[in-house]
Amino acid sequence: MSNSVPRSIQEYLDQLRAELAGADPALIQDALYDAEEYLRGELHAHPDKSEEQILAAIATTYGAPEEVAEAYRNTEAKVQLALRTPRPRKRESLIGRFFSVYADPRAYTSLLFMLLAFVTGIFYFVWAITGTALSIGLMVLIIGLPFCLLFLSSTRLLSLVEGRIVEVLLGVRMPRRPVHPGNGNSRPLMERVKEVFTDPRTWSTLFYMVLKLPLGIVDFVIFVFLGSLSLSLIFMPIEMGFSHDIWFDIGGYDVFNVPWIVTPIFTVLGIVLLAVLMHLARGMGWLHGHLAKALLVKAG
Amino acid sequence: MATETEDEALQGQQRKFQKELNAGIVSLVLLSIMAGAREPLYGYQIAKQMEHEGIGTAIMKQGTLYPVLRSLCAAGLLDSKVEPSVSGPPRRYYHITEAGQTVLAQWKNAWVTTRDFVDAILRGSTP
Repeated sequence: MSNSVPRSIQEYLDQLRAELAGADPALIQDALYDAEEYLRGELHAHPDKSEEQILAAIATTYGAPEEVAEAYRNTEAKVQLALRTPRPRKRESLIGRFFSVYADPRAYTSLLFMLLAFVTGIFYFVWAITGTALSIGLMVLIIGLPFCLLFLSSTRLLSLVEGRIVEVLLGVRMPRRPVHPGNGNSRPLMERVKEVFTDPRTWSTLFYMVLKLPLGIVDFVIFVFLGSLSLSLIFMPIEMGFSHDIWFDIGGYDVFNVPWIVTPIFTVLGIVLLAVLMHLARGMGWLHGHLAKALLVKAG
Repeated sequence: MATETEDEALQGQQRKFQKELNAGIVSLVLLSIMAGAREPLYGYQIAKQMEHEGIGTAIMKQGTLYPVLRSLCAAGLLDSKVEPSVSGPPRRYYHITEAGQTVLAQWKNAWVTTRDFVDAILRGSTP
């Protein structure tokens, strides 16, 4: 790793990125944002000094890249430990492991996420498709490009919001800060516009928003189907108490009529099925979380 | 040659000790700066505030403050809001919460007790 004193903000950020190599991409994005905000603030506050002069003193004020990197790693480790939902006790037996999902808070939050994914999925999809269609349609007019840029920046904002939901409900670390726009005001407008269109994250964010709908539908179908089936099985003895005969109706045919005494078997079946749903929810949650990280966070 | 490496080892020891000390007090320093602030401050202002307090930068590097700010926020001791700025991207302004004030009062007590205890021990060991 090069430990030469950085001479420009970009060099400092590159060194910091190198020092943080291997850390969570979301953490790297936050750390780079903070550093860039500080360095640009410093540059702004001392217009008489050059970038090189300011960076010469940086090791004694903000800290050298390796010091800052270490501080982020340490604080992150501590905070993650404090905020993480407690893990359920590890069970030895296969059956114990299967049913321990009932004691896992992450499974319940994943269930909530599945239900929410349907709603947010529809919203993101409509937003992305409408925005893209209008952007392309309006491109022939003078407002086309500004509209397109406005739409793309709205998707970045939404990706931060989605990041919060993903982190709270699925426990996958997502950035709290956007990517720093850099020395925005002094660069030519066209260069910045070009950057928006050549940034792969712009398109992966759009892709994520479109992908959320089919995934959200799958989530919702699994949730409603398994959820209602297992709950009705679990409460079958009580249902029998009201109606006295229950039969299975498949495709309009009564399959069989069951006596009350066997209904507890269905309760057990329902409890097993509900555990299956919760395992599925955890799995889908893992998938959603890692998809969000891959598509919404700039690779470290 | 030998003395050079010895010097380096001593410096390394000192840095390590300072870092371990800082890990405990940086939250206290930040909370106390925020309690003294008349208006919400953003990251850079908070860092500069510490510089004004004097020896600040020699002890604590400002780059180490940002992640702590965020964890104080997550713990509910600070609150924040985003506001647009003229010279760049929007800034996050922090201010202390009521819980933060309560915690700060407790921490101050703990700090004074610890300091007095350490001072007493140090006086005993160096006649």
